[in-house]
Amino acid sequence: MKKTTVEKAKEKPKFEEPRTRSRTFVIGCGKLGASIANDSSRRGFSVVVIDSDPDSFALLEENFSGDRFVADAADLYALKTRGLPAAKEVIITTGDDNLSLFLAKACARIYQIPYIFVRFDDPDMGLLLQRESNIRIIYPFQLSRDYLNKLREEAQGK
Amino acid sequence: MRKIVIAGGDSKAEYIINSFRKQKDTQLVVINPSKEVAERLKQACKIDVRHGEPWSRRALEDSDAFDADVFVALCDSDTDNFAACLMAKEILSPSKVICVVDNPNNVEFFEALGVPSVISSTYELGQKIMNEVSINELAKVVANVGTSLEFIEFRVLHEHAICDRFIKDIRFPSYASIAAIVRNGKAIIPNGNIEIKARDKLYIGTEPVNKKKVYDYLQSKRPLSALGAKIAAVGENVRTQRANRKKNEE
Repeated sequence: MKKTTVEKAKEKPKFEEPRTRSRTFVIGCGKLGASIANDSSRRGFSVVVIDSDPDSFALLEENFSGDRFVADAADLYALKTRGLPAAKEVIITTGDDNLSLFLAKACARIYQIPYIFVRFDDPDMGLLLQRESNIRIIYPFQLSRDYLNKLREEAQGK
Repeated sequence: MRKIVIAGGDSKAEYIINSFRKQKDTQLVVINPSKEVAERLKQACKIDVRHGEPWSRRALEDSDAFDADVFVALCDSDTDNFAACLMAKEILSPSKVICVVDNPNNVEFFEALGVPSVISSTYELGQKIMNEVSINELAKVVANVGTSLEFIEFRVLHEHAICDRFIKDIRFPSYASIAAIVRNGKAIIPNGNIEIKARDKLYIGTEPVNKKKVYDYLQSKRPLSALGAKIAAVGENVRTQRANRKKNEE
């Protein structure tokens, strides 16, 4: 019977055993993504970084030991061939909330990746991922605001 | 009064707005993320167009789009449409959400991720080509219901075994069902007492995996003796008509 697109995308890549979920995928190699990738590499994680702009890899350190691939993150087939279905954790920092939403949902529902971390600018995006238990979200705007308020309280307390 | 929300899109949005604008039973709510396009649509279609990102909660809440019957996402980016449809489902709870995509691979991904109705012109074209060439000139797939059901159109000829037989007398395969018959342009709802005639068009629902088996069954020919009898009967009928005509003329 002919396989559907989703079934084909779910197939594990041949070069990696389905049970070995050991790699950390960082999708989006901006300042935050590159920083996480560098840090994970230094700590000995097996890291794969994906970005559509090859120039973005300039943010990776010289001794970065992971893999780097140029790919359109909206193309799940391209991500599949890079081994995404066998990832242990995925960190999504694309800078485009709608693309990040799509990737987070696909990683959770299609590939069942156990740990998914996603950054959103718009706090309302969390509404759309309420039912996904394996996705954790950060909002830099809220983190900055909360930290700034904490600093103000500390300063005024002095 | 039905309410249709048109989110994003330029010329596609204009076409759809113009298709529904004059229908009195339809209220259109148009939201566009581009200020320039929103202004252009406003001028061209003489309709109120709200400038805002249709994937933003605030834009949807401010847009008078609550209780919409249909939400259509027509933005340029597939992922923008994906986010707009999910946000609309969450905030507006429309009866139907339609997402238009460029990348045909996204049709099944988006459906699997919670957008029930996804349209890609390339995907539709591919399906159409596949359906047109999949069987032969007597039969073609005319509709797909998801991936589990297809409707085949089959043209009956004199030589087919099912021709000139009542539906109740045909041992039709259990994995297929005749949904409708079109005879001389008129639709007939099938029941056991309907006799299938040559030149009828049968619309048969079946699973895609059984399509070939159904076609083989429909295509099976009647025994030559039966066909001969039929030809003889038709010939006899023609002879009788001619004789009657001659008699009348005399």
